Amino acid sequence: MKPALVCTDLVKRYGDRTVVDRVGFHIDEGEAYGLLGPNGAGKTTTISMLVGLLRPDGGTVTVGGVDVAADPIAAKRLIGYVPQDIALYPELTARENLRFFGRLYALPRRELAARIGEVLELVGLADRADDRVETYSGGMKRRTNIAVALLHRPRLLILDEPTVGVDPQSRVAILDNVERLVAEGMSLLYTSHYMEEVERVCTRVGIIDRGRLMADGSKRELVAELGGSDRVELVVDGDVEATAEKLRAVEGVSEAVVTGTSSVRLLATGGRHLLPTLIAAASGTAAVTGVEVVEPDLEAAFLHLTGSTLRD
Amino acid sequence: MRPLLVVGGRELAARLRDGTALLIALIAPIVLATMFGFALGGDDDPPLRATIGIVDHDGGEFPASVRREALNAEELRGVLTFKSYVDDTAARAAIDSGEAGAAIVFPAGFSASVGAGDGGEVTVLESADTPLAGVIARSMVDRISALVDARTLAVRASLRAGVPPEDVKLFVEENGAAGPSLELASDPVSGGAVDLAVYYGSGMAVMFAFFVVGLSARGLLTERQLGTLARMRAAPIPAWTAVAGKGAVGFLLALVSMCATWLSSELIFGASWGPPLGVLALILAHVFAATMIVMLVASGARTDAQADGYTLGVAFVFAFLGGSLVPVYNLPDFLQTVSLATPNGWVSAGLTELAAGGGLADVALPVAVVAGIGVVAGVLAVLRFRKGMLA
Repeated sequence: MKPALVCTDLVKRYGDRTVVDRVGFHIDEGEAYGLLGPNGAGKTTTISMLVGLLRPDGGTVTVGGVDVAADPIAAKRLIGYVPQDIALYPELTARENLRFFGRLYALPRRELAARIGEVLELVGLADRADDRVETYSGGMKRRTNIAVALLHRPRLLILDEPTVGVDPQSRVAILDNVERLVAEGMSLLYTSHYMEEVERVCTRVGIIDRGRLMADGSKRELVAELGGSDRVELVVDGDVEATAEKLRAVEGVSEAVVTGTSSVRLLATGGRHLLPTLIAAASGTAAVTGVEVVEPDLEAAFLHLTGSTLRD
Repeated sequence: MRPLLVVGGRELAARLRDGTALLIALIAPIVLATMFGFALGGDDDPPLRATIGIVDHDGGEFPASVRREALNAEELRGVLTFKSYVDDTAARAAIDSGEAGAAIVFPAGFSASVGAGDGGEVTVLESADTPLAGVIARSMVDRISALVDARTLAVRASLRAGVPPEDVKLFVEENGAAGPSLELASDPVSGGAVDLAVYYGSGMAVMFAFFVVGLSARGLLTERQLGTLARMRAAPIPAWTAVAGKGAVGFLLALVSMCATWLSSELIFGASWGPPLGVLALILAHVFAATMIVMLVASGARTDAQADGYTLGVAFVFAFLGGSLVPVYNLPDFLQTVSLATPNGWVSAGLTELAAGGGLADVALPVAVVAGIGVVAGVLAVLRFRKGMLA
């Protein structure tokens, strides 16, 4: 079976600035792929090229074997795209929104009516379907936003930061729905800067930063690149920048970044045994008031690959 | 075609739902056209019974000839009356009292000076209260100036060629410059034949066509801000569907708006805009041009408020320059020329043709020019959309 998505050497430039630089990855049929990166890393620009909203300056995209540049209409039929921002008519009801977008996908009238009912059930909005979207909570709008992309039963669902700004309850509901869709065989491209979401939903992850795909693989593969490094989270009281600088010089520490006004994240080999040395190194600029040593995870892999955190 | 209908249907529903279509396309232009018609139109149009004063300090053949020729001019038969005044003060008093609409002053020795090839100048006294009498008077003076220039040139050429000064007048007249003659079939004067109810009614219709299409342009930018434009573009439909669907609805609403204003003008004032086919051709061409111009403007806007501002600016500038707000013949000469760069100006010229008894064939040029303006704007809009919003 053809891969759900293959993109190769995607490039997008705005003037002299290259915002996407030779990004390439593939998603197999039925696979859930996460594109993980901080805000401004190039995730949305990459997705805009994948769904045909932006013309790449270089590279190719095929969806289900169809070249997006050569036959955009056929390729778009296979994609369900959920944009990062809510893209709905606020003055219309959820059902009216779904009807309008469903017609753009040429769904026959009767089939569309039935399908609208199904997706409203799926996202848990059947009882509010005839209320105007402008009266919805942020989470309900997000779920409607996703429902629109499911109407035509796409082979590949592309979700661009689908949980931004939603309440925890809606977030759980969205993630549950996404997991169910993947379990039913839908291919998924999920972008987020929330590590835990990507870890939960996706089987394979690409780490993108400053327009470049830094690494690509299963969670196990990415973590394995860390070797024996642990993630060490320190809470400090004092000059956090100077402390991070000092900790970076400690032998065994490969990365040290400031993650808040009083927190520093380290990648360190044998982190547990290194703690006394770290505390001693910090003295003079700050007092260490809390310590957590975490087994290697995606967060640590991200720090290792990009030298930065998934800043919000 | 089906996606275009879906997008167009949605746009039309949105315009009807928020009430803007009804207000901008029907109520506003019809009400304004009617108000202008009542205020300025009707049977009392000053140009149709203009009285021009003559102050003849010259007493020669030239002023007499001008009067004779003007009264014989086909366009002014039954319209123009001349009254003589002894001096400028008396003429000015007559104009101020409304006895005369304007006056032409011939200076002493004017005929002799022109006959000798030395040229000459006449002046026009006008009043803001009777602008169209002033138009006629100025039009006559323009013609007089042209004749004087021609005569001066002929006399000087003859003198240089060796014709004796005492024989030059006879020589020139025998060789084609036989004294003053006026042909007053000029556009400004025939413009006065259009009922002002028609003039302002059509002016409002022409101007509001921009506003009506502007609603759809605004809608396009609103969709962009809502993110629904991107969502449409991610759907399996041709890339231009959203823009074309909005533009098509703008076109149709503007067409309905202009036709409704036309119909209301004819029904309320009983004043004909001209043969229906000719009027319809002009309206279709204008609505097309307005749609393309507004889409070109929208292609450069980033927000719906910006699109509104641009459309408003273009509509008012074109309305002013093109004679939709102020009659073209009241504008300075260079602005009268500039008016022909606007579709409004050509539609106004076309309606004048129709009012003067012309038919469909007589408006072929205005229709072609207006449609041409639309094509140029359309091509530029497509290029700009491809580089911008639809890149």
